[in-house]
Amino acid sequence: MSAYQGDFLKEVEARVEEGEWVKMCMQCGVCAGSCPFGPHWEHSPQKIFMMIRAGKREEVLTSDAMWMCTSCYNCVVRCPRKLPITQIMHGLATYAHRLGLAPKMQPTRRFSVTFWSNLTRTGRVNELKLVLQVYFRNGFAAGLKEFWNMRRVGLRLLAAKRMNPFELVFPHRCKDAKGIQRMLAKACEIENRKRGFSQ
Amino acid sequence: MKTAAYLCGGCGIAEQLDTARLAAIAEREGKVDLVREHPFLCSAEGVQAIREGIDKDGATHVMLAACSRRAKTEAFYFPDVAVARANLREGVVWIQEKGEAAQEMADDYVRMACAELKRMQVPKAGPDTGKSKRVLVVGGGISGLTAALEAAEAGYEALIVEKEAALGGWAARLHRRIPERAPFKDPAETGVPALVDAVTRNSRIKLQLGTTVAQTAGAPGRFRVTLSNGRTEEVGAIVQASGFSLYDAARLAEFSYGKSPDIVDQAGLEALAKKSIPIRRPSDNKEVKQVVFVQCAGQRDDSGKHLPYCSGHCCATSMKQAMYFKDANPAVDTVVIYTDLRVPGNGEDFYRSAQAKGVTFTKGKVSAVEADGAVKFRDLILDEDTQIKADLVVLATGQVPNSGVNIDNPDEPDANGAKPISILNLEYRQGSDLPRLAHGFSDSHFICFPYETRRTGIYTAGPVRRPMDIAQAVEDATGAALKAIQATENAALGRAAHPRSGDLSFPLVRLDGCTQCKRCTVECPFGAIDEDEKRYPVFNESRCRRCSTCMGACPVRVISFENYSVDSVGAQIKAVGIPDETEEKPRILILACENDAYPALDMAGLQRVKYSAAVRVIPVRCLGSVNQVWVTDALNAGYDGIMLLGCKHGDDYQCHFVRGSALAAERMSKIDDTLKQLALENERVITCEAAITDIARLPRLIDEYAQTIERIGLSPLKGFA
Amino acid sequence: MRDIATSQTILVVGGGVSGMTAALEAAECGKQVLLVEKSPTLGGRTALLYRYFPKLCHPTCGLEINLRRLKGNRNVRVMTMAEVVRVEGRRGDYSVTLRVAPRFVNENCTACGACAEAVGAEIPNPWNYNLNRMKAAYLPHAMAYPQRYVLDASIAGTPDAEKARTACKYGAIDLEMKEQTLTVSAGAVVWATGWKPYDAAKIQPYGYGRYANVITSVEFERLADPHGPTGGRIVRPSDGKEAKNIAFIQCAGSRDENHLRHCSRICCMASLKHTQFVREAYGEAARSTIYYIDIRAIDRFEDFYRKVRADRTVKFVKSKPARIAEDRASGDVVLHGVDTEGYHRYAAQHDLAVLAIGMETAVPLPQDAEVFPAGCAADALDVNRSVQSSTAAALRAIQVVNRAARAES
Repeated sequence: MSAYQGDFLKEVEARVEEGEWVKMCMQCGVCAGSCPFGPHWEHSPQKIFMMIRAGKREEVLTSDAMWMCTSCYNCVVRCPRKLPITQIMHGLATYAHRLGLAPKMQPTRRFSVTFWSNLTRTGRVNELKLVLQVYFRNGFAAGLKEFWNMRRVGLRLLAAKRMNPFELVFPHRCKDAKGIQRMLAKACEIENRKRGFSQ
Repeated sequence: MKTAAYLCGGCGIAEQLDTARLAAIAEREGKVDLVREHPFLCSAEGVQAIREGIDKDGATHVMLAACSRRAKTEAFYFPDVAVARANLREGVVWIQEKGEAAQEMADDYVRMACAELKRMQVPKAGPDTGKSKRVLVVGGGISGLTAALEAAEAGYEALIVEKEAALGGWAARLHRRIPERAPFKDPAETGVPALVDAVTRNSRIKLQLGTTVAQTAGAPGRFRVTLSNGRTEEVGAIVQASGFSLYDAARLAEFSYGKSPDIVDQAGLEALAKKSIPIRRPSDNKEVKQVVFVQCAGQRDDSGKHLPYCSGHCCATSMKQAMYFKDANPAVDTVVIYTDLRVPGNGEDFYRSAQAKGVTFTKGKVSAVEADGAVKFRDLILDEDTQIKADLVVLATGQVPNSGVNIDNPDEPDANGAKPISILNLEYRQGSDLPRLAHGFSDSHFICFPYETRRTGIYTAGPVRRPMDIAQAVEDATGAALKAIQATENAALGRAAHPRSGDLSFPLVRLDGCTQCKRCTVECPFGAIDEDEKRYPVFNESRCRRCSTCMGACPVRVISFENYSVDSVGAQIKAVGIPDETEEKPRILILACENDAYPALDMAGLQRVKYSAAVRVIPVRCLGSVNQVWVTDALNAGYDGIMLLGCKHGDDYQCHFVRGSALAAERMSKIDDTLKQLALENERVITCEAAITDIARLPRLIDEYAQTIERIGLSPLKGFA
Repeated sequence: MRDIATSQTILVVGGGVSGMTAALEAAECGKQVLLVEKSPTLGGRTALLYRYFPKLCHPTCGLEINLRRLKGNRNVRVMTMAEVVRVEGRRGDYSVTLRVAPRFVNENCTACGACAEAVGAEIPNPWNYNLNRMKAAYLPHAMAYPQRYVLDASIAGTPDAEKARTACKYGAIDLEMKEQTLTVSAGAVVWATGWKPYDAAKIQPYGYGRYANVITSVEFERLADPHGPTGGRIVRPSDGKEAKNIAFIQCAGSRDENHLRHCSRICCMASLKHTQFVREAYGEAARSTIYYIDIRAIDRFEDFYRKVRADRTVKFVKSKPARIAEDRASGDVVLHGVDTEGYHRYAAQHDLAVLAIGMETAVPLPQDAEVFPAGCAADALDVNRSVQSSTAAALRAIQVVNRAARAES
């Protein structure tokens, strides 16, 4: 066993968004202390960076830590080395997801997947569908319960014409949904090529 | 001798004191030839009056009864006459209420100043002046080369003595150096060839290569230096830039140095880099793919086995060396294991650059390096024991100063266990090399005065003084060159070096009274006094710093200075009017260090802090100059108590004459016998540590002591004198 | 005024320990020196330090020695309240424009203090980093040189100024003094303008200026000084309560691309020293915590670090605190952050937080003329290294004037 072989660091630099910043961290820990979600993380950003350098690939990519980032940017503005920590966290999350290593049941990851498929189908977010998908993610009974809890909000949204039940059946579409899908596919292809993914 | 006394009435003196009575005392008791009063002596007219007294009335000795000798020095500047000052302002009216007690205090200060005045002479420079202004530089590394070149650039001649056959020292063995200029990003050229070239071509610099110093005799301005090749050279001052040796990595058994050629120290890595870039590992000549730097190897050691200090440059050096790899091939893994990264100032930019180049830094403590390159360590961030398999390991070992022989323990080996070899071979009674401060370094002990050497005219520069990198060594060598030049200028004029800069007085000795007890030669903090064949002291004036420790040490009182002597202080002590026992007025003599305790008392005056009127304060050059006879005389004269106020002593001593206050404490600890003989209480003589900031504390100490005296009662010796 | 300086004169700008050193070292080599200082006294920032690391000795002890050297050496001419406006020319031949502010007190002053008693107005005391106030007629501090009072410009033209004038028996108050501009010649210029503490209010998450019990290291130095605003009592500003449990935060402004890029070098050692002040004040009841990234106790300073580490009242946490909050009820400060050695989150309550504030150059180097920087005008340095740097700068200046002299002869 040998730690600190730079392979994983090089992988992160090549394949993770803003990954080339990881080496610049000086382990002051100001990011870890600045994060409002700090107490809920398994690993703080600065520790993640150290783990990357130490070559702990499995531990980092399967961690739920980077999924906790809420993009508040507290860490970014305070980092004495000006690391784009928020971007790196999202980059790492995306990368872990692409590799299929991200924790399957991690709520942020699940929401992100749902959101993405919802969005890319028509080129617009179908809020009603998204809500239902989220409510019923843990089964029918749990979904109903959540639905019931939120009924007043729903009714008021209906009354204010902020929610249209027909969207479930006839979703609002972009003019050229196919075009958007083609555009996204192209972007994916470029990104994949750049980051070294086959598909 | 024609004496004149000027009494000032300003700053409350005339309001609080009977100045006519003071004038009468100066005239009748002080027997001063010319006594004048002035309401505002430091005014232009007042100063003019004094000037006239000197120029027209021919006064050679002037007593000023006004403010402290530290005040109004621009106005009261009369270098052509002897000046004594009675401190009536800070010493009396600012610390006392109006009244008889204050008046008596003032009376005494006038008596004391008159008594001192007559025992002073304007110092004329000593006869021992040497005229050589040439600078000897011992060591031809970057520090020595810089010192010689900088001195030469200022117009002074220099001689470099280097033990190796070539110039350049350690720096010449480097592939590159740590950058000293913006943007502080990349290793820089060492600059050694250009420096060597400039030195070689400079007509003011002479070189002696493959040579060492066999003997150094004499004093600033007239050092006679014999070289190992038999030549003799005359020089005025010396810069010792003898550099450092690398701590021997073989002493670190746990790091397997010597067991594998692929475990090297920082010098070893420089050699590899000089041989080839990309760097190849020694064992099989393959290009290095994974290198680990172990910081603080055998440094910052708490076990007592290795170097306890930090060598300061090694963090940046490892960064630089890691760049050797990264600049040639970014794919090489370079890991630096450190506990604290120490790159102050713009070194932070260099650190950032190393990171940007992909050097990995990890906070950890290395426990072992195996011969196969496995570096085992505690990862302090990830909180786990781990290891890295490296194909080259670099141990950042520290600097061991080449400071010659430890004069306090001449057989002591250096940190590498090597037998000490003298660098300077000084023909000084107190040993062949410079005194050391800590860990073998010959540094100055003083924060404000890094060049306050204990051997006048000899200055160390570079890593022999304290651990340092090239940039600092260059600054240090330039500073040392200035001090060397200054020493030659001082010597030529017979002027003292720091801290009594410019003092022209020097020790006068009545050898016919000397008992060859050797106390002066032993106790001189600056090694200024040698012994002749008959064991009489031989004073080397231009080595002397005028602290008067010798005067304090001399049991037969044959050493004196023109303006400061056993007599000049003794006469002041005796001049104080001691009230007889019926008057119940105690008198306490205070001998106060003029650099710290006396200014503190002055400032107490400035802030109008009141304290006992029983005290009579005499500033002394250093407590080391306090001769025991002053104390016994004072006791015999009927003083009720004596306080000696001097600087902190011990490891963090603050005495600028090194051991003055410590010596005073030692000498006074022996005074108990005298006290016993006189049937006096131990409390009659006390020694206190005082700092210049003790503006509030000293008055408190004095008052407490006055209470002690009140408690034990007046001295039974009153009236016997 | 040109006569006070010639091309053989070395002009030293700044009268702190660096400038005094450069001036004295050159003068003791026989050179003519003009030493100009912006404030009314020599001594600079070191005179505002209570004690030095690592010896814990007193800066004024060295100042006293330097002042004595100065008083005895006629080669140095001192001008206080003089600021350099412009430097023109080249090595060997400079023309320097100085602006001299009115002191309103002439050399007749005996420092008797009658003017200060007469004056009513008070102004913030910059020699205590404005932690207290002083009379508008003042002697900066007990070691001030020249030992001469100053009438603050703010009372010029007010009845207070007149009161001061009347109170002075020696005709030392001169209310007619005006700002003067003059030009001097010099052969070499040493720039020893020193440093200033970084503006702590810019480090927003630490709440300096918002929370009373967040102070800077230079202010703490004044608190510990028996001649400082609290008489040496280490108490906190909000309520005067004894501050026994103190957080020392390193790299406050330093090593930070949002503030100062460089490491200020002195802060680690200063905080280590401060822990010893706390210990001296409160003995075993003292609680000091140093929050750090790297402890930069370079070279022999390691000895002092070792000594402090052995002190049970001192704790070290490898962490740059993320933010400071205030506990309203107690006035305590609460530090939030993560100890990165093993990842331990903390919300640590302290009586007082001391920001080990970074060092910034006080005055930029002149743009149009080459000068020799010395001390903290050259780099972030401690006192010892500043003196070393100034001694070297003095030699560089001597080289120039000597070269000029040789060329003339």
